[in-house]
Amino acid sequence: MSSAATARANQGIGSDEVAVLADFSQAFATTLDVTQTVRQAVEQIAAHMNAEAAALFLIDGPKGELVCRACFGPVDVTGLRVPQGRGIVGRSIKQNKVQLVQNVETDADHAGDVGGFVTRSILCAPLTTGEGAIGALQVLNKRGGELFNSHDRDILRLLAVPTTLALSNARLAEDLMEQERIRREFQLARQMQKDLLPRREKDCPVVGINMPAREISGDFYDHFQLADGRIAFCVGDVSGKGMDAALLMVRASSLLRWAGKEGTPPDLWLKRVNDEICTTVTGGRFVCVLAGYYDPVSGMLEWSNGGLPPLLLRHPGGQYRQVIADGPPLGIVPGIAYPSNRAFLGNGSAYIYSDGATDVRGEKGEPIGIEGFQSLIDGLVDLSPRARLRGLVSQLRHMKLADDTTLMLVEDLSTQAHYLGGISIHCDAECLRLVRKTVDKQLRELAVPVEVRQRLVLAIDEATANVIRHAYKGDPGGRMSLDIWRRGEALEFVLRDWAEAINKEAIKPRDLSHCRPGGLGVNLIDMVMDSWGFEQPESGNGNVLRMIKHLEFRPESNLN
Amino acid sequence: MAEKNGCTTVEEGGFQVVKVQGEVDLSWSQKLRKSILDALGKSQKVAVDLSQVTYIDSSGIAALVEGFQSARGKGQHFSLVSVSQPVIAVLELARLDRVFPIFESLDLAAQS
Repeated sequence: MSSAATARANQGIGSDEVAVLADFSQAFATTLDVTQTVRQAVEQIAAHMNAEAAALFLIDGPKGELVCRACFGPVDVTGLRVPQGRGIVGRSIKQNKVQLVQNVETDADHAGDVGGFVTRSILCAPLTTGEGAIGALQVLNKRGGELFNSHDRDILRLLAVPTTLALSNARLAEDLMEQERIRREFQLARQMQKDLLPRREKDCPVVGINMPAREISGDFYDHFQLADGRIAFCVGDVSGKGMDAALLMVRASSLLRWAGKEGTPPDLWLKRVNDEICTTVTGGRFVCVLAGYYDPVSGMLEWSNGGLPPLLLRHPGGQYRQVIADGPPLGIVPGIAYPSNRAFLGNGSAYIYSDGATDVRGEKGEPIGIEGFQSLIDGLVDLSPRARLRGLVSQLRHMKLADDTTLMLVEDLSTQAHYLGGISIHCDAECLRLVRKTVDKQLRELAVPVEVRQRLVLAIDEATANVIRHAYKGDPGGRMSLDIWRRGEALEFVLRDWAEAINKEAIKPRDLSHCRPGGLGVNLIDMVMDSWGFEQPESGNGNVLRMIKHLEFRPESNLN
Repeated sequence: MAEKNGCTTVEEGGFQVVKVQGEVDLSWSQKLRKSILDALGKSQKVAVDLSQVTYIDSSGIAALVEGFQSARGKGQHFSLVSVSQPVIAVLELARLDRVFPIFESLDLAAQS
């Protein structure tokens, strides 16, 4: 060591160093571009320490590699990567200590030279935060053949401090900005999802509510009125969570609205959307959907279910019925057919829900299941539909909701049924005349036009004859009843028997292009009635067939 | 609806004419079926007169379809004549109004 150097080494920190430190701190404090400032800092460090070159390395990636982010000197090594722990720079970080190597040839860790630059000596200081090292600052070859000394070591260690602070702050700022950006994107996505939900409509018999478990939801619901007066509805649950689930949710809900606008039967509606989703969905994602229509005039509900929990029907008396028939979720198997279900809603309620509602944990930590969900409903039946859904949400939240949850309720109390009359008969074809007479009398009193009256009498006769022939198989001991109701502008004919339950799936209209005797009765019922379907009896065995016809009543026949 | 239900078969202008009356339903449509098939066993030309029918259901229609198919299989003449409005309405509903040969009268059926 020269005498001048020794003298400087003994000096401690001088006014020059304080000035440089102040410049550094000022530059770092005021900059918005840390990368540019670091480059300038490296150049200033090299100049101040009279070094031929200087470089700043930062730890990059999970393997702890060092990457040169800024350098000054005859060879540009920006971007140079050094494996973790390698070289003198690696050792500096590993030991968290300044390395002063006056002759690199004697140091086994020296990694070699780059681009023709001959390294003689290295001074390297780690950049250390409270959470450990983030990189290192090094200067190479003191100019004029001098050697780095302990004074230089202290200076570099000193200059490393504001550099570390600046880099650390910059990273924090970047993290914050990134978090803010993601937060804003999620907010936007959430808003988009909210915009996709249907607007509240006064007195709409279909209401829904959606509770995301996170910022955004994989669940959705929709309802809209068709030109024929029916209300289309759907509830969906996309597998997984987060942004990709949300994007699939947006696509699925758009497709459902698009495909449901035409009033396509629910089974074909789901099939169409399934085929579309299957063409684009990847990565094992799928969508559970229940979609259908509610007809406010007839009170009929028809739907198809692709993987959502069973639709829950609640009769006005408080009994529940789960309708389990369903197909697989959408997006898995293209081209498959979905079963279709029908039920008369009347003054009852239909609950449609994603599995978040039944997976929520009860007091013992077990999922509450459908029975638990029913108990929650039972406690809120006196509330209006919307208030009831809000009450359910509140209780589910209280039970620590783990998943996105969507609830939909179809309930229509706007039309009360008026009983018009009925007849109870034995299983005897001779009684058909009495049935026809009863129906004809009621229809005459309502001033139903003769053509419509004849057709309705025919359809009821066919339905009754079918019970005699097929349900009771001619057993003269069988009994049945026919009740006629008026609900708003619709007539309901309810035929009840106590025979063995029939295979309802097998009862369908046949192809009329084949001229053959027999099998016409269901066709006639289907053509005359606006809707018909079998229901589970509220009690006891047997079958219930409900047939509905919309009529334009003359004013004098208005019962309301 | 007070007419008595039933059918009688008469010979008229070379036809076996099955004259049907009243409301045809499940309670006696088998009787009508038998009458039509019996008439087809007796003559090459059968007409079913439906002028006095006030109601017919699908079991009655099935009897007519069976008669029509049997006659066609054997090259016999089979027609419905003087069909009442309630019967026409049901035939139209079942899309059978263009399947059966339908004539306003037996004379017109005989001329075909």
